[in-house]
Amino acid sequence: MTDSQTPLLSVRNLCVSYGAIKAVQNVSIDVFAGEIVSVIGANGAGKSTLMSAVMGDVRRESGDVFLDGKVLAKKSFQVVTQGLSLAPEGRKVFAPLTVFENLMMGAFPRNDRSGIDDDLKRVFTLFPRLEERREQYAGTLSGGEQQMLAIGRALMSRPRVLLLDEPSLGLAPIIIKEIFRELKLINEQGTTILLVEQNARQALLLSHRAYVLQTGHLIKEGLSADLLRDPDIEAAYLGGGHRKL
Amino acid sequence: MGTFIQQIINGLSLGSVYALIAVGYSLVYSILLFSNFAHGGFLVIGGYICYYTLNLMGANIWLAGFAALIGAGFCAVLTERLAYKPIRERTSVTLYLLIASMGMSIVIENLFVIIAGGRFRALPPVIPTAPVDLFGLATTSAFDLLSLAAAVVFLGGLQLFLTRTKWGLAIRAAAYDLRVAGLMGVNVGRLISIVFFVAGLLAAVGGIFLSVRYTLYPQLGAITIKAFVAAVIGGLGSLPGAVVGSLILGLAEMLTAGFLSSQLRDLVVFSLLVITLIVRPSGLFGKDIKEKV
Ligand SMILES: Nc1ncnc2c1ncn2[C@@H]1O[C@H](COP(=O)(O)OP(=O)(O)OP(=O)(O)O)[C@@H](O)[C@H]1O
Ligand SMILES: [Mg+2]
Repeated sequence: MTDSQTPLLSVRNLCVSYGAIKAVQNVSIDVFAGEIVSVIGANGAGKSTLMSAVMGDVRRESGDVFLDGKVLAKKSFQVVTQGLSLAPEGRKVFAPLTVFENLMMGAFPRNDRSGIDDDLKRVFTLFPRLEERREQYAGTLSGGEQQMLAIGRALMSRPRVLLLDEPSLGLAPIIIKEIFRELKLINEQGTTILLVEQNARQALLLSHRAYVLQTGHLIKEGLSADLLRDPDIEAAYLGGGHRKL
Repeated sequence: MGTFIQQIINGLSLGSVYALIAVGYSLVYSILLFSNFAHGGFLVIGGYICYYTLNLMGANIWLAGFAALIGAGFCAVLTERLAYKPIRERTSVTLYLLIASMGMSIVIENLFVIIAGGRFRALPPVIPTAPVDLFGLATTSAFDLLSLAAAVVFLGGLQLFLTRTKWGLAIRAAAYDLRVAGLMGVNVGRLISIVFFVAGLLAAVGGIFLSVRYTLYPQLGAITIKAFVAAVIGGLGSLPGAVVGSLILGLAEMLTAGFLSSQLRDLVVFSLLVITLIVRPSGLFGKDIKEKV
């Protein structure tokens, strides 16, 4: 985690636009092996765009993304093969497929049967509710269960970096706690995590380091523990307790 | 009673040919959300490949059929690569794909007018058409039973492919959300090619049976309109819907022809379409339709 080593995932001067809208401007982010890094920001800050651009789901206008020092491919399916996977915003589970089939979709690029079985067991250990609902259609799961499935599905490719886009979205506080506890465990088991969240408090509590994104620009970065105590952050992102938990 | 059973079998036989066409059309629709009007061209391609390999090369029907299926599959993939892929990559507006497919439909039709000429051609009698006695209840033709059997074999094969294989799973996932399928590591371009190949192949099976039933000519693809109607009645994008819609249509046509008048067939078909659109616009098996044509 020291700055002397090369970051596992490195985003350099990334810019993304939708027509005239500049959604992400000149953003640089480093994620070191073993870390949890969070990017916090309000609605429309460009968090999802950042994730989509890293995954190759949205065209990168300029800038580079490196994984372990190597340039990341431009198309999603190649990015996944290289070792990234995303649990997208709004979960996006395949509603008409079963829980098991969703997880197998996560393992799509792999052919190592026994490795896939190991990871399936791992996901079921992390989220026992998924195992109980193995043959149930994903569309019939509760929001929390769908989020667990989205995370489990992303883990099934055995990513080197797991990307999470607002895993707390629309969930009850108790479910958020449960999911974030499992995220911590996933990280302790060796998966590096890049998390974007509107729920700044939860994200800062979980992550080691964090970046603050505002209307497409990074305005701050630092240790999460420091940002939690930062008065500006407190006022803008943590204050009042009125914000969505 | 005999006529009734006979017309039912005729109807199922015709419906099964519609189903082969409608399922491929629906499959493409479920992934790319546009109505591929060039789909009829695929069945014409299959028909002509079969005709020429039989006549010029003296191949047997198995070889000619195989060549037709594979050839039509490849032409479908080629159509996608040439006409749709460049559009897909630039815009997500599916209306452009629809228009491009109308263009491709005209291109394919005219290609055959130039290459093969506009006249009607009969396939050599490669598919038996002898009358078959059904346990003394009715007589039908071997052709009807064979087309029904072919549809069962190919649609059953499709079902196995979709439910038992990795790419089949990916296609079902992509039918729900193509983008997210890409995020799972699925090569979306390859997936679309596979879907077009399957659609072209199934259309060719239908094309061969239609050529035997009605003769072969460059505009034979126009019959795909019936398969479109069947797909809408069943629910656009739904494969079981396409099959059920096709069987309903085939039965309606044959019962009308048998008991009312042959001239009323198409009227009944389009009445069924209108009724479906009024009573249940999403079709029998449909989800809510995002985009209608
Ligand atoms: N497909 C799109 N077409 C046009 N503009 C878009 C598109 N997606 C996002 N935007 C715009 O880009 C900006 C950043 O959006 P983005 O979804 O990345 O924000 P976000 O930080 O993820 O917000 P939220 O917290 O609400 O998810 C916004 O102004 C948004 O309106
Ligand atoms: Mg977002």
